[in-house]
Amino acid sequence: MLALFLLLAATPLLADMPEGDARRGQLAFGPCRTCHYPEKVVGHNNGPSLWNIFNKKVGSQAGFDYYSDALKNADFVWTPALMDVWLADPQKFLPGNMMMSLGIPDAQDRADVIEYLKTFSE
Amino acid sequence: MTTDKTSLKRRALLGGLAAAPVLSTLPVSAAAARSDVKSWYASVDVVVVGSGVAGTSAAIAAGRDGARVLVLESLAKLGGSSAMSGGVVYAGGGTALQKACGIEDSVDAMRAYILAASGLYAQRDKVDLYCEQSPEHFDWLVQQGVHYEASFTNEKGLPGTTDSLYYSGSEQVHEFAQSIKPAPRGHVPGFKGWTGGRSLMEALIPSARRAGAKYLTGVNCERLIVESDGRVAGVTVQMDGETRHIRAKRGVILAAGGFIHNREMLSVYAPELAQCSVPWGNMGDQGMGIRMGMSVGGTAAQMHHGFAIMPLYLPDHVLKGIVVNERGQRFIGEDAYHAFLGHEIAFHQKGRAWLITDKTSQYGYDDYRVSEVARANSIQALEQKLGFAENALKDSVDYYNHHARKGGDPLLNKAKAYLSPIAKAPFIAYDLSVDKAFFPAHTFGGLRTNTRSEVLDAWNEPIPGLYAAGRTTAGLPVAPYIASGISVGDGSFFGRIAGSNAAGARS
Repeated sequence: MLALFLLLAATPLLADMPEGDARRGQLAFGPCRTCHYPEKVVGHNNGPSLWNIFNKKVGSQAGFDYYSDALKNADFVWTPALMDVWLADPQKFLPGNMMMSLGIPDAQDRADVIEYLKTFSE
Repeated sequence: MTTDKTSLKRRALLGGLAAAPVLSTLPVSAAAARSDVKSWYASVDVVVVGSGVAGTSAAIAAGRDGARVLVLESLAKLGGSSAMSGGVVYAGGGTALQKACGIEDSVDAMRAYILAASGLYAQRDKVDLYCEQSPEHFDWLVQQGVHYEASFTNEKGLPGTTDSLYYSGSEQVHEFAQSIKPAPRGHVPGFKGWTGGRSLMEALIPSARRAGAKYLTGVNCERLIVESDGRVAGVTVQMDGETRHIRAKRGVILAAGGFIHNREMLSVYAPELAQCSVPWGNMGDQGMGIRMGMSVGGTAAQMHHGFAIMPLYLPDHVLKGIVVNERGQRFIGEDAYHAFLGHEIAFHQKGRAWLITDKTSQYGYDDYRVSEVARANSIQALEQKLGFAENALKDSVDYYNHHARKGGDPLLNKAKAYLSPIAKAPFIAYDLSVDKAFFPAHTFGGLRTNTRSEVLDAWNEPIPGLYAAGRTTAGLPVAPYIASGISVGDGSFFGRIAGSNAAGARS
């Protein structure tokens, strides 16, 4: 139910999402590297690895033991649209989560980061 | 700030309801008068603002000394930037770990290195105390349950292995080693991976709780509350959607980190760091502790200092290239510690630099830290593409190659291992500029404190009831950063001192 609601909530945003650029996203993703690495070879850090994150159920990266209850109890699959909502305001999206980010306010930056993350998948 | 305080006091003297709307329109972090506080939400001996290594070490010390301690954290997660760091503590002078690894060190050598590397900004009294008590401080960390392995590694950089002791600074570099006996002083919790900060805080926070400290999350501290005689009496906070006042009978300890995530403060105090592409640290690093301290007359120092990093290596074969500024000229030995390189670019080269490589020194793959911006079959064609003055880069490369062929670098003394002529096409330029490359930065500046961790005013007098530690203060870390572990070391050490002194203050 929650996932359905979130998807519905995300749909209009998806239509507004600017076209992302992975090259710009590489730099915009920089601060995220305090905790997250998308490269498969690096694995988990303070936060879970972001390798192959899309189409993966939330809070389910194997071998990461530090998920908050907010993420463990959530029930949806990561899509670019949901990632956009999450990155805009993580605390609003899943209150009580432990991600150390106030979010990425700029829609273009978010689209760029998402495009960049898409390049780290099988 | 003083004006705010004075006018507030005057208005408060006028009394009555008029004061209330005035208080609500004050900027966040301005001081509030004790007389305006109608009721306390809670009353403890010591309030600690921030739950990182400085705040938590303060909580342990104050709790052990019998004080009732409340730690206030603005975020949902405890541990601050410390918990996200490598968790290295710079310690020496013959710590138990150094001895267990068969390493000889002395307090004098440790002090000499810190003073020599820190240069003009070193605070001699703090450095003296830190070095003299370093072996005891390391024992204290072990007593709190931090786990170290009796194992030394000679590898460069933060060990991803379980080894707990390594060279975290430039002690072995010729400039220092010729006169100061080097010793490894990076003490890192003994677990695999680079999450030593998490391991450190996973030991310290439970230890603070065992000492009786209570933690509250989701509490935004906004103002210090000040008695009419200037003594700090508590804090005004936002929690559960309400404004509340919390009394601190013996003292308030500001340990709320630096200000790398506060763009406004960065542009005022550290514009060079504001240019860097990657603010590095916990999002709670908003400068709140510094501003609260300033609002009651605390003074700050070294506000433009920070950690600016250009992580050029590894792989280290790229160090066979040369780094040039917008004049096409070299300005640093490319094998310098990456905090030295970052500092040079950010503070002395207008934030702009390029790595020039040939076939043998190029990255050879797409690296997230840097972007290729020009490629050509001759140095002249490359410098044209980069927009440099004619022959500027060519002259630099010719001069460099001339000496590199003979195995020397008279201009900047790069190590022999990285000296080889830049001669084989294709020639590639990577942009190392602060806003184009992966360029992490965080802040070192903050409130001035004495060796009792008391916050000092403009006349060097302690502000009664106010203490600070960690990156809310101007402590041991100065720019360029001299070694990993100085910041967490300084925070934990002077945090303990803040806790003990606050606990011992009069009620």
